[in-house]
Amino acid sequence: MYVLRRLPSLIATVFAVSLLTFLTTSLLPGDPALQILGAENATPEAIKAVRTELGLDDSLPIRYLHWVGDALTGDFGRSYRTNEPVSQAIVERLPVTAEIGLLAIVIALAIAIPVGILSAYRAGSRTDKLISSTSFGLLAVPNFMVAILLILIFAVWLGVLPATGWVNFTDDPAQNLRSALLPAMSLAIAEMAVYTRLLRTDMIATLQQDFVTMARVKGVSNRRILFRHALRPSSFSLLTVAGVQVGAIIGGTVVIETLFAVPGVGRLLLEAVLVRDLLMVQGVALVIAVSYVVVNFTVDILYSYLDPRISHGRSTARV
Amino acid sequence: MRVHRRPMRGPWKRALASAGLVGLLLGSAACGGGSGDGNGDAEAGAVSEAVEAGDPVEGGSIAVGLEAETNSWMPHEGTFNQPGLNVAYAIYDPLMQRSADGEVRPYLAESLEPNADLTEWTLKLRSGVQFHDGTPLDAEALKTIFDTYLKGTGSRLAAQLAQVTSLDVVDDLTVVYKLTETNAAFPDLLVGASGWPFSPTAAAASGPDAGANPVGTGPFVFESWQRDSRLVVKKNANYWQEGKPYLDEIVFRPIPDEDTRLASLQSGDIDVMQSLRQSTVIRARDLEGVNNFEHLGSNAGGMTLNTSRAPFDDIRVRQALVHAVDQEALIEVLGGSGVTPPQTQFWSPDSAWYSEKVAESYPGYDLEKAQELYDDYINDPERSDGKPVGTALSFMFQCPPDPSLNELSQLYQALWQALGAQVQLQATEQAAWIQDMLSRDYDTGCTRVGADRDPYLVFDDAFTEGPLNMTAFQSPEIDEQLEILRTTTDVDARKAAVEEIGLVLNENVPNAFSGGTLTVLATKEAVRNLDGWTFPDGAEGNGANASTAMWGHVWRVE
Repeated sequence: MYVLRRLPSLIATVFAVSLLTFLTTSLLPGDPALQILGAENATPEAIKAVRTELGLDDSLPIRYLHWVGDALTGDFGRSYRTNEPVSQAIVERLPVTAEIGLLAIVIALAIAIPVGILSAYRAGSRTDKLISSTSFGLLAVPNFMVAILLILIFAVWLGVLPATGWVNFTDDPAQNLRSALLPAMSLAIAEMAVYTRLLRTDMIATLQQDFVTMARVKGVSNRRILFRHALRPSSFSLLTVAGVQVGAIIGGTVVIETLFAVPGVGRLLLEAVLVRDLLMVQGVALVIAVSYVVVNFTVDILYSYLDPRISHGRSTARV
Repeated sequence: MRVHRRPMRGPWKRALASAGLVGLLLGSAACGGGSGDGNGDAEAGAVSEAVEAGDPVEGGSIAVGLEAETNSWMPHEGTFNQPGLNVAYAIYDPLMQRSADGEVRPYLAESLEPNADLTEWTLKLRSGVQFHDGTPLDAEALKTIFDTYLKGTGSRLAAQLAQVTSLDVVDDLTVVYKLTETNAAFPDLLVGASGWPFSPTAAAASGPDAGANPVGTGPFVFESWQRDSRLVVKKNANYWQEGKPYLDEIVFRPIPDEDTRLASLQSGDIDVMQSLRQSTVIRARDLEGVNNFEHLGSNAGGMTLNTSRAPFDDIRVRQALVHAVDQEALIEVLGGSGVTPPQTQFWSPDSAWYSEKVAESYPGYDLEKAQELYDDYINDPERSDGKPVGTALSFMFQCPPDPSLNELSQLYQALWQALGAQVQLQATEQAAWIQDMLSRDYDTGCTRVGADRDPYLVFDDAFTEGPLNMTAFQSPEIDEQLEILRTTTDVDARKAAVEEIGLVLNENVPNAFSGGTLTVLATKEAVRNLDGWTFPDGAEGNGANASTAMWGHVWRVE
């Protein structure tokens, strides 16, 4: 029921995103026809012929309607640059980005949860201070910098992981994981720091609540209090931010995929933007935006799992 | 190009070289651009360091790191820069190729002969050559595919083939290219994509997806391609050149980032890497166990001045701006200090068309002269921009957004402001910047100048009426020399014409230069013979020219 209530706003968001994506990319300076022909062939007649063929001379609303109509049936057109169907390019590349992004979140959470809990449990101690300052330090380092350092350590010096490149899961699962590890770690470092800080703050607040004191009085072990009783109510901010941060991760993949020469959507988008491959840019941007909206929609639904009051409509404050 | 053995170096040197990766990155993060590291023992110009190639070895696989992906492998759809050329020369054979002394000679073709007035070029094919799909390469096949290059909609070869009226079949292995007018430079076109036969049967079968499924006659057969990741080619067992290729497999991997491509070579992920970046060339020289095949390409850094617009329509202004520029300082900002020689003309010192005389005529760094010319213009009551006498020049300088180009722009700005000019900088994205230049809707800005092609093609594009004349500069003297280049195949006469054009350009400076472009193919020592390729008749080829190799001639030891 809760899901159904949220559905109209989801659809409205996706529609707004499609309109914005289309408008901003169409208004970029630089003629796609020129990019297709190359400067030396760009006679006015040739440009006109290509523009007509691509329907670039139609008015913006007409082009938008055509595009949305086709997009609804899964047809995003063919790339101006590579002649490859846009939907096929996205289908081939989305799993790569999704794998790296998910792995990054898993790595970040796997480290942030125990570290954040430890930090909160030992709030004010030397350990807490060390964790806090390290987190701030990691937050300040840009991901491309982390990427180069990781390559230097794990590929050039230790020689245990490949410096660049990608192996498909279907070709070799083990090699696939090896090729995903460094890009995922590069994205995970900053996320990890954010998650740690958030969890620490919420956890400290939770640990001061009555039910925790009660549990302590009853003699429940520290580990059980921290992981069973306190973690769940402390993870609202963490979950919200993890959802929102999916955007940061997608943004990060543009840089990270280029550095690691990984064939994901981030790199696809970057190269399409540079050569004004409009249909590709619009298709990829729409898919990214929709994934982002869907992830955050899922996060909303997860709230009701964390706090059943939400789905019963008694508390809408957090939604 | 000099070749010498590298001295041995300790492991600490290797560690330093990799630490340099981080250093450079820190540097560029902190100050927004990689500055030259002033490498004291670096040598200016192309220096190739390689172990002796030895005897050919059969078998083995190599991975080649390229600086970019190519959009399509269909000759008339693709944009073939150096990365694309490397792949293309594995899958396709060019009908013609350039020799060590700059001559264009038959490679896949058996011969190419012009008629008396150079309007018809008769090309004979070798017998028994087959495409990878088994289709024989005969006159009919060549005509079918060439007609696609010539007439296909949106063909990127349209402009360069505009002079070809038709390709006619004479007999089973002979065709004639009929041109609209005399063109002595025609064979040069068949070195590039116009001269790469793609199987017409495969092209028809693949339709719009042909660009992702290339079928040529080359030493390697296309196996698979995952865009932006890897393209795999396997040995062509039926290759027409006896005994070649040597390698069983090549994996081409586009790795756009310079630092990580170099790191991949160090870590052994790839065996060969290609680069056009000066700072990468310097760092590759310091790597242990790596051979460097360098070449100073003719596509140099530079700037264009829009001579159709005041004040750049006045020769004094153009000369003043160029005299005010210290090219060595520009090179330092671009990270090529000590390795990149200053550029003085459309041709690098490694090119057969280079001229000492033109080099000496280039307007060098001379502030006094610059100030004199500048003052002369702004105090001229008849000044072309119509502004009152004494008003400072004011114009915009455009450059694509890139950290090192931003720094370069700021340096230009400082140098010209010293004259008294008001210079506004604008970072314009590449796509929009090219469009501004094509429509001549700009003042001045940075661009690349020159190409390793026939001088007639290069100068005809750049300085006659047409979309590519971005400076809008034309001159009767140049037209006269172009006529010589177009109508004679005599090498000495053509060299003299190229020299004359160079002198006219250096006097009128529609373009200026910001340093040559050193290119490199850096390889693990096991990979051999990147620069030793030969023509089927044994003539010496032009080596690892502009970081491209003829892969059928390469082998690996071990």
